[in-house]
Amino acid sequence: MAELIQKKLQGELEKYQQLQKDLSKSMAARQKLEAQLTENNIVKEELGLLDATNTIYKLIGPVLVKQDMEEAKATVSKRLDYISGEIKRYELQMQECERKSEQQREVLARLQQEYQRAQARVAKA
Amino acid sequence: MQAPGPASPPSAAHVGRLRQEQGKVVTSCQEKIQHWKKVENDYEALQERLNTLPDKLSYDIMVPFGPLAFMPGRLVRTNEVTVLLGDNWFSKCSAKQAIGLVEHRKKHVRKALDDLQKVMKNFESRIEFTEDLQKMSEAAGDIVDIREETEHDGTETKGKRRTAHKPHSKPKVSDVFEVHFQENGADAKSKGYSQSEEELWARLEELERQEEMLDELDRTPNTVEANGEDTASSEEEKEVKTDLDVEDSTTQDNLKKEVTNSELFGDQVNGSNHYHSDDEDDLGVGNHSVPTIFFSHTVEPKRVRINTGKNTTLKFSEKKEEAKRKRKNSHGNGHLAPELPNIKTPADIYRVFVDVVNGEYVPRKSILKSRSRENSVCSDTSESSAAEFDDRRGVLRSVSYDEATYSDNSEGILEEEEEEGQEHLPKKLSTLSGTFEAFSGTVIEKEPLSPLIPHLSISHPVLPTIPERKSEEILSEASEETTKRISKFKAARMQQTL
Repeated sequence: MAELIQKKLQGELEKYQQLQKDLSKSMAARQKLEAQLTENNIVKEELGLLDATNTIYKLIGPVLVKQDMEEAKATVSKRLDYISGEIKRYELQMQECERKSEQQREVLARLQQEYQRAQARVAKA
Repeated sequence: MQAPGPASPPSAAHVGRLRQEQGKVVTSCQEKIQHWKKVENDYEALQERLNTLPDKLSYDIMVPFGPLAFMPGRLVRTNEVTVLLGDNWFSKCSAKQAIGLVEHRKKHVRKALDDLQKVMKNFESRIEFTEDLQKMSEAAGDIVDIREETEHDGTETKGKRRTAHKPHSKPKVSDVFEVHFQENGADAKSKGYSQSEEELWARLEELERQEEMLDELDRTPNTVEANGEDTASSEEEKEVKTDLDVEDSTTQDNLKKEVTNSELFGDQVNGSNHYHSDDEDDLGVGNHSVPTIFFSHTVEPKRVRINTGKNTTLKFSEKKEEAKRKRKNSHGNGHLAPELPNIKTPADIYRVFVDVVNGEYVPRKSILKSRSRENSVCSDTSESSAAEFDDRRGVLRSVSYDEATYSDNSEGILEEEEEEGQEHLPKKLSTLSGTFEAFSGTVIEKEPLSPLIPHLSISHPVLPTIPERKSEEILSEASEETTKRISKFKAARMQQTL
C-alpha cells in the first residue's frame, strides 16, 4: 500500500517538475520579449530624431539594405505591436502554467499525507 | 525571501537567510550600477570623439587589420556616421545628429541607473532592519523583547460575560454554599464568626474570586486548580457566605456579576492568582535569549470606597481589613483570598452586597440609582451614563490625585485603587473597577503618583467606575469643603470615628 502511494507520488512529482520547467521557459521568453520591446521603443524614438536626409539601412544577414524612412518607421511600429502581442500571449501561458502547477501541488500534498498515513500504519503493524 | 515566523521569535536561521537574500539583491544591484556607469562613460567618450571628428576632413590612422595587425590608413568621410539604432536598424547621420542620438541614449542609461540606486537604497535599509532583528534574536543585552499576552478583554465591555439570570441558577449557587456550609460548619463555630460586616466583605471577595475563576473556566482549561485552591482555602468565608446568602435578597444582579467577572479575570493571569498583586509585570526571559518582559494584565481588585454614612458603620472597613490581613497571612504567595463570596449569578451579587442597616440586612439598591450611593457600601454608584465616562475619567484623574494628597485615613481606598491602577499598565484599569472587591477596610495612603495619573484612563465599564463616581462625588462635594479638600466619605468616616 505504501509503495503504491509512493509510486503515485513520484509520478505526480515529475508532472509538477515538468510544469515548473514550462513555467520558467515561458518566463524567460517573456523577459527576452520585454528587452526587445524596450529596444524597439528606442529605435522608434531615434528614428523620430532623424530627418529624411539620412539614409536608413537594415541589416539582413551580412547585408545592409537601404530602407525608406517611412517604411522603416512603419516596420518598427509593426514590430512593436507584434512584440506586445507575444508578451500578452506568454503572460496567459504563464498564468495557465501557474494554475496547473498549483493544482499539481495540491495533489502532491494529498498524496504525501496519504503516504505518511500509510507509513504510520505500516510502522504500527 | 522568507520572512520569520510571526508568533515565535524569529529563528536565527530564518533571519540569517533573509539577511543573505537581501545581501544578494544589494550586491546584484551594485553590479548593475557599475555596468551602467561604464556604459555611460563610454557614451561620454563617444560624444567627445564625435565632437572632434569633423574638425578635419581626413585623418591618418592605424587601421586595425584583424585582431593582431594594424595598417596605416586614412579616415576620410569624417562627418558621415552610420549609427546602429537597435534591432538591426542603421542610419547614416552627420556627426552632430549622431551626438544627438548618443545623448538620447544616455538619457535611458541614466534612468536605469536611478532605478537601480533606488532599489539598492531600499534593500540596504531592509538589510539594516534584518541585522537588527538578527542581533535581537541572537543575544542582546540591552535589547529587550516585550511581549504581552493579552487575555480576553471581555471584562472591558459592559456585561459581556454576564450570563442570563436563569431562574434555576440561584438554587445551584445555594447548593454550593450549603455544601461549603456543611463542610465547614465546625469551623464556622470555632472561629466564632458572626453575621457581621466583616463576613460580608470576606464573602464578597470570595465570591468575586470565584466568579472570576468561573469565567476563566469557561475560557481556559487551567482554572481548575485555581478553583480548587479557592474552594479549599475559602472555608471561613464560604460559610460566612452561606450565612449571608440565606438572608440576602436579590436585587443587585449586575453589580455582583460584574464584580466577580472582573475579579475572576484578574485572578487568572499567567496561570497564577495574583489577587492582590500590585505589580503585574513579569520580567521573564523567554525561550530566546532576548530578555523578555511579559506583560500581563491582572485586575487589581478595586477597593471600594465605603460610604460610611449614618447607617453603615465602620465595621465594614474593619472587616475588610481583617479579611485582607487574613488573606495576606494565609496566602503569602498571592493566592486568591478566601473571603470572596461565591458569586455565580448576578443574584448572588445582591445577596452578597448588602448593607447592614441597624443590624439588619437591607439589600442595596441598584448601583445605577443615585440614591443608593448614600447608603451603599461601595461608592461606585452613580447615575451617570457611560457616555460621560471619559469626561469623568479626566476629572477623575485630577481629582483622584488631589484626593490622594489630602485624604489621610481610610479614604485611601480610592487612592489605593487609583495608585494601584497607576502602578499597573493602563489596560489593567479596564478591569480595575470591575473587580469590586469589597472594601477590605484597609486604607492605604500613598503618595500621589502624578506621572502615572494619565494612565488612569480606562475603567471597567461593567460598573460605572468607582473612581469616577468618587470623583463625581468629590466634585460635587468640593464646594462643601472650603479649607481642605476632603471627600465626603472621608469626612463622614472621620465624623464617625470621632
